[in-house]
Amino acid sequence: MSEVAVEVDAAADPHVARKAWRRILSDPVAALAAVLLLAIVAAALLAPWIAPTDPYASNLRFRLCPIGGARCPQMLLGADQQGRDMVSRLLFGLRATLMLGFTAVAIGGGIGATLGLLAAYYRRLDAPLMRLVDVLLSFPPILFGLAIAAVIGTGLNGLIVALCITAIPSIARISRGAAQQVMQQEYMEAGRAAGNRDFKMLWHYLAANTWPVILIYMTLQLGQAILLGAALSFLGLGAQPPTAELGSMAADGRKFLQISPHVSTLPCALIFLLVLAFNVLGDALRDALDPQLRQ
Amino acid sequence: MARHIAHRLMISLPVLLGVLLIGFLLLQVVPTDPATVSAGPSATKADIEAIRLQMGLDQPIWIQFLHYITRVLQLDLGRSMISNRAVSEEIALTLGPTVELMLACLIWAAPLGILLGSLAARRHGSWIDRAIMAFSVVGVSVPVFWIGLLLIQHVGGAGWLPFQGRDGPLWTLAGLQSIILPAFTLGCVFVGPVARMTRTSMLETLAADYVRTARAKGISEWRVTIRHGLRNALIPVVTLIGLQIGFLVGGSVVTETMFAWPGVGRMAVGAITSSDFPLAQGAILILAIGFLAVNLIVDVLYAWLDPRIGTARS
Repeated sequence: MSEVAVEVDAAADPHVARKAWRRILSDPVAALAAVLLLAIVAAALLAPWIAPTDPYASNLRFRLCPIGGARCPQMLLGADQQGRDMVSRLLFGLRATLMLGFTAVAIGGGIGATLGLLAAYYRRLDAPLMRLVDVLLSFPPILFGLAIAAVIGTGLNGLIVALCITAIPSIARISRGAAQQVMQQEYMEAGRAAGNRDFKMLWHYLAANTWPVILIYMTLQLGQAILLGAALSFLGLGAQPPTAELGSMAADGRKFLQISPHVSTLPCALIFLLVLAFNVLGDALRDALDPQLRQ
Repeated sequence: MARHIAHRLMISLPVLLGVLLIGFLLLQVVPTDPATVSAGPSATKADIEAIRLQMGLDQPIWIQFLHYITRVLQLDLGRSMISNRAVSEEIALTLGPTVELMLACLIWAAPLGILLGSLAARRHGSWIDRAIMAFSVVGVSVPVFWIGLLLIQHVGGAGWLPFQGRDGPLWTLAGLQSIILPAFTLGCVFVGPVARMTRTSMLETLAADYVRTARAKGISEWRVTIRHGLRNALIPVVTLIGLQIGFLVGGSVVTETMFAWPGVGRMAVGAITSSDFPLAQGAILILAIGFLAVNLIVDVLYAWLDPRIGTARS
């Protein structure tokens, strides 16, 4: 968790993203994680087309039908407590869980990246912005989740806001570090000498040269965001039943743990695989970017 | 040293204010008017108005916020809307079990993490190192509720250990039995990060000059690892374990809810889902303040363990 805040000086290198990917593909474990992740994301994106049935269509005849049960030969992974097809629920649940993570990291990461760029560009803003980031970073993410759920109520909106806030600080730090490296480049001075406005300097010079690194670190954050989102949904503070979302599906199936463990075990296992793939890939990306390890 | 502590307190202050603001906001969204409630059902409009004045509800919001802070300082956190007991009373009941659970988790997970981390650093690059690191990645990727569910299904379901509630204080057999599953669940997600941090810290110290000197003197490898490596590597590890308390808070909220452990985390979740705003406010406040306090203690401990920190700042 605290290890995310590694200083990077890879931003000065224009081919950083390509080099990072090449390195990952040469590491079999990381390559496997990348393939697994691609498959999972593709399955989630294609869920409406590849899901065998409607994830909300219940049929009590198939209630809690086990995997490979004689009652439901057409259902590959059995059915849940309302007789809904597990394969369809898992696909749509995956879709919801991934969407939550992506949205939160995109918005929170976007805000964080902007803060980091501003802190690097305007020296005067550096200290106050970074102090704010320290404050945010020093706080347990779950407390943001609890506090926001308490203020604006349980549900998806609160969950996204909480996940966004927790994504801001670490991305802000990375983006500031990368932008500070770019600030020392000669083309920055040349750009300023050419009389460019601040906005153009920030957008066309600074942001354009830092985004590959920032994007890579956002990937690293995704695993954590998904894990936190699933935990909050599991607690009943995020997605609410009957919404197909992996965390709330796991919580929902808890009551039938002894008779039909597959209802909660399958979503849990899927979250684990997803987060594991993100973390393995993230570690490999970090190794690829860490200048000390690269040399 | 004193200056270092003062500096830390100065940083914690804005966080504390932010937390208090959230607590205050929570009491603002209570749907019922506190003056109407305390006046009772038979009160006239004039009575309610008088109580409103008396409670300071007519004053500007920032003055109300100052009143709120003074009330919190006097440990007056309001009353639960469901049980009608004082929130401070409810917290006093739940704080003990939470601390108990965290200690029961730390007592086995921290040493195991340190041991695994040292082992990995000692055999850097070998299959043992790779296996331990793989285990640690799995540890940070697994949802804590899955570990809990698996234990409830296989260990609790078989009737080997209780998995619902706290059957008594830690020093009784029943209490000890009921804490095993929650403490194991929480610890499982803690071993990985600790092992990882210890390994990184150990690798740095083992590369230091004094370790080479010790080796040159002909001291045995394990003695070098433990006396020269681990002792110095532990200083940052202590801080990092302290910083991971936040991680532990997150895990404990989930663990307590799953195992019906009567702690602050479960109380917070219960209060939020049942819209008991005063209780939710109190629970979030105490979790945040407890977290800040632990961080402060760890920081001071760090400065005390490593004299370089105190002098570098002053």
